[in-house]
Amino acid sequence: MSRPSKPHPLVEVDEPNLLEDTFDYSLPPLIRFDGPIVEYIDGQPVQFDPKELASRDIHITDTTFRDGQQACPPYSVDQMVHIYDLMARLGGPNGVVRQTEFFLYTKNDREALDRCRALGHDYPQCTGWIRADKGDFRLVKAAGLNETGMLTSCSDYHIFYKLKSDRKRILERYCQVVDAAFEAGVRPRCHLEDVTRADIDGFVLPFVDRLMEMSEQVPEHLTVKIRLCDTMGFGISYPGVELPRSIPKLIYKLRHECGVPADRLEWHGHNDFHKVHVNGATAWLYGCDAVNTTLFGFGERTGNPPMEAAVFEYIALKGDLCGIDTTAITELADYMRSIGLPIPANYPFVGRHFNTTRAGIHAGGLRQDERIYNIFDTTALLGRPPRVAITDKSGADGVALWVNEFFGLKGDERVNKIKVHALARWVLDQYEVNGRLTAISDEELEAKARELLPELWQKYKGSTQA
Amino acid sequence: MEKNEIEQRVVKVVCEVLGVTPEMVKPDSNFVFDLGAESTQSVQLVAAFEEEFDIEMDSEEALAVETVGAAVDFIEKYVNKN
Repeated sequence: MSRPSKPHPLVEVDEPNLLEDTFDYSLPPLIRFDGPIVEYIDGQPVQFDPKELASRDIHITDTTFRDGQQACPPYSVDQMVHIYDLMARLGGPNGVVRQTEFFLYTKNDREALDRCRALGHDYPQCTGWIRADKGDFRLVKAAGLNETGMLTSCSDYHIFYKLKSDRKRILERYCQVVDAAFEAGVRPRCHLEDVTRADIDGFVLPFVDRLMEMSEQVPEHLTVKIRLCDTMGFGISYPGVELPRSIPKLIYKLRHECGVPADRLEWHGHNDFHKVHVNGATAWLYGCDAVNTTLFGFGERTGNPPMEAAVFEYIALKGDLCGIDTTAITELADYMRSIGLPIPANYPFVGRHFNTTRAGIHAGGLRQDERIYNIFDTTALLGRPPRVAITDKSGADGVALWVNEFFGLKGDERVNKIKVHALARWVLDQYEVNGRLTAISDEELEAKARELLPELWQKYKGSTQA
Repeated sequence: MEKNEIEQRVVKVVCEVLGVTPEMVKPDSNFVFDLGAESTQSVQLVAAFEEEFDIEMDSEEALAVETVGAAVDFIEKYVNKN
């Protein structure tokens, strides 16, 4: 084996280097770039400058009430209004969560839209969603909306097999609907369905060229927006992937060959291959301003980019909260659970155990400094202090951490593992003596803490009588 | 308190917590390797010493003590501090 070409001497330090420029505990870890990204497009190297993200008006859009509702029982009007209200608080006054879209077909759809708008929030702005049908614009106009999404499927799977048509006829049909939108004074947002499985040069780019030409004939506020719909989750974020699956190349071609501005481009993904969040962030990175999301990723089949993940990604890229109220994420999750939409316990940011550690050695670390095993200040940003789940692996450290958290002990009040030895012994006996195989619930521990830690209980909880 | 008394009471506590006989408990007995103390039992031992001698020890330092003799010396510092 050859000798390494660059020596790496150990750098001893007096104080720990916690890399706080990136890992500022009060924020999600920042995403910092140290150079351009290079992608080869049509054989030529093209540079993307990710530092542009700091100044670009990237934002989040929402489809919880449209794609999200396609994956679960319909929300009641009251539920939609409550979710919309919390979503407005989450996105904040700067409109980080910029728009949300509504079906317009039923009385309930229209009532929900009216009541959401009646709340008077500037954001998320309400838009519609219709089929590519000229008659449907009456619904959009009647609802008083300025913008609507419309389905413009563009892969041959859809054109030939679903719509039973051909490229020329379908392109003309779509353009007629866009014209109808212009005539109705409604901004059309063309949803390029199945774009990551489409013939980019043979259909997508000619169609977008046509849309851009048509947009030249109307005022700016009516110009066509483009939503890139990765309907089956085929999109890929890595450099070097070929079209139509390459997100960087797709966005580059629309931006630089068709002339679509970043603020009229939106990415809509699906999670069939576990790539949904990163693909959305990739779209931001390569020049698409809007990423379409749903709360907790609820959406058709495997779901859409989760809004809460996009929110944290946004903060990590911008380096600032930008008016976002992240605590609304926890309230939204609690509300979703309360109306019967389960969220897996290990689901990031909101699952019951997302910041719960089980191993005793990790609990020991948490006890010494919560930053060791907590991703950021989850207490401040989400109202969720780091927790430990008690099993045979928790050890006395884990039990001590549970006790401190349960009694809300801070600073010098916090107890060490020696003080909770009796409870730790009881926990271990559940497994070693009684052969238990499941985690011990908070309720069980609470009952035992009352019995085995009477002094603590008296001091912080009052009477030990059940 | 005389060191001899501390030794006797330490042996008594060790026998109670670890379930061993007094004959097994020697000054150079290692709590883990000779007397079989597991992690939670080590914590119980420290707690039991604190209760027996009515003292409060630095928990990390106390848990780092490896042998019975070292424990007697460690406890003696707290017992005879005043």
